[in-house]
Amino acid sequence: MEEPKEFQNYTINFGPQHPAAHGVLRLLLELDGEVVERADPHIGLLHRGTEKLLEHKTYLQGVPYFDRLDYMSMMSEEHTWVLAVEKLLGIEAPPRAQYIRVIYAELTRILNHLLFLGAHGLDVGAMTMFIYTFREREVVFDLYEEVCGARMHAAYFRPGGVGKDFPEGHAEKIRAFIDDFPSKIDEYEVLLTNNRIWKQRLVDVGVVSEAQALDWGFVGPMLRGSGVAFDLRKAEPYDAYAKIDFDIPVGKNGDSYDRYLVRVEELRQSCRIIQQCLEQMEPGPVKHENFKLSVPKQEDQENKMESLILHFKHFSQGFEVPEGEVYLATESPKGEFGVYIVSKGGSKPYRVKIRPAGYNHLQAAKEMLPGLMLTDVTTIIGSIDIVFGEIDR
Amino acid sequence: MTEEKLENLEKLVSEKFPDLPREREIDSLVIRVEPKQLIETMSQLRDGPGLNFTLMIDLAGVHYPKRDKPLEVVYQLLSVKKNQRIRVKVSVDEGAAVPSITSIWSCANWYEREAYDMLGIMFSNHPDLRRILNEYEFDGHPLRKDFPLSGKIEMKYDEKLRRVVRVPVDMSKSKREPFKRSRREPYQQSH
Repeated sequence: MEEPKEFQNYTINFGPQHPAAHGVLRLLLELDGEVVERADPHIGLLHRGTEKLLEHKTYLQGVPYFDRLDYMSMMSEEHTWVLAVEKLLGIEAPPRAQYIRVIYAELTRILNHLLFLGAHGLDVGAMTMFIYTFREREVVFDLYEEVCGARMHAAYFRPGGVGKDFPEGHAEKIRAFIDDFPSKIDEYEVLLTNNRIWKQRLVDVGVVSEAQALDWGFVGPMLRGSGVAFDLRKAEPYDAYAKIDFDIPVGKNGDSYDRYLVRVEELRQSCRIIQQCLEQMEPGPVKHENFKLSVPKQEDQENKMESLILHFKHFSQGFEVPEGEVYLATESPKGEFGVYIVSKGGSKPYRVKIRPAGYNHLQAAKEMLPGLMLTDVTTIIGSIDIVFGEIDR
Repeated sequence: MTEEKLENLEKLVSEKFPDLPREREIDSLVIRVEPKQLIETMSQLRDGPGLNFTLMIDLAGVHYPKRDKPLEVVYQLLSVKKNQRIRVKVSVDEGAAVPSITSIWSCANWYEREAYDMLGIMFSNHPDLRRILNEYEFDGHPLRKDFPLSGKIEMKYDEKLRRVVRVPVDMSKSKREPFKRSRREPYQQSH
């Protein structure tokens, strides 16, 4: 006669080296067979002390740090920082700079959502998606490179405007990409939206109700996936968003599939926004005209003593920012990304708190995962679209 | 927020909480709360009609070493329905605890852990107050103003002990021998 065997729950480490952990997530999973009993995400493996470093940098030197927070949506992060600094200074960027920033914020949204689609597809088993989306990401990276010289970490937005105006023929290139892109989205949708396996893996997995989403502090596509139509681009329009017409896609069931659909629709809306921006924008200055706050013109630096001094002071000492505190948030591709700056005057902030968009989403994984199968863990991690640069800071 | 909206919100808040000090920072409303009133105020802010601050957006700790109460916790609340924001501040003494608001918004959990980790602010009734961003054995609270930027302890591999050791941070530059300038031989005329 066989003795009855006793099975125990066992604990596994999902990550920090797991390819589906999207970076350095260490997720402790307690499993009963294949069912998750308890999940405990451990973060901080990518902590670089950005908030402390920012206290020791001028406002201008702070910009590149924001590229490196959420390294999948670089310019959106810069956008928050420069808008917050502008609010402290009480200035506004000239209209052309506003349009350029909106165009690039939306191109960045496309970049981020393409990575989401590719990586999410890869996690769930659709390898082709990754190759498809990276084909289009390459085009956007080329645009990035043309406008600011860097393919990823741009440091293109500056307090009071942008670094440089578009080079010759750049707007046409963006237009060509945007005209072509919706057909590419159709391609992705043909692959995924009605795919039986994709639906089996996503539909009704990780359902979040509206009340739960609010309690867990969800923002962005995660909140909209649960049926709350809240988008900061509409609610608190910044830069040129007030002049632009677009829709907010909203989910119905709050599952992973709805969040996928919301993000795909956002890709289409981004195309609409960029198209309108390209039509509406007119030639003009792209930097704030107070040259104590922005870099003086090149020809002035060569001919005028004062401009040369201002240029030197701009990059060494930095500009003075009045005392005050501000919390400013923008709709980054992952949701509300905010900065809280406390300034005590001078050219460096006293305290900066970054509010990462994905922080709460990962935190909620603790509540979302128990009761699901091990295979659904990758679906949920993919669906909440996390990047550890911003979560760990 | 627009000026009109801010006026309305301030009116509403002054009726609800007549004895709480209010301030205006650049287009936002700030209220200051004593730690013992916090839970009460926060649940009213969440559920009160017209307020509806259903989302706890952010919790930031700030260290002001020169103040009487050197640690400050700043909450940012957002109302999705009314599309308005409010900022709530609590100041505490060194070692005193702020009541945890995890019972009101469960997402406050990690934010409070972070404030504890980075600034050493204590939260009472918190379910799981561990460090979060720094490693669990970390010593000190890095966002305090007296914490040096380069840190205090660094980890490196010790060749002799054959393991990773913790040593005080040493920022001095290693003694490098600059290239010795080769003295040019005097020109010798060939015979």
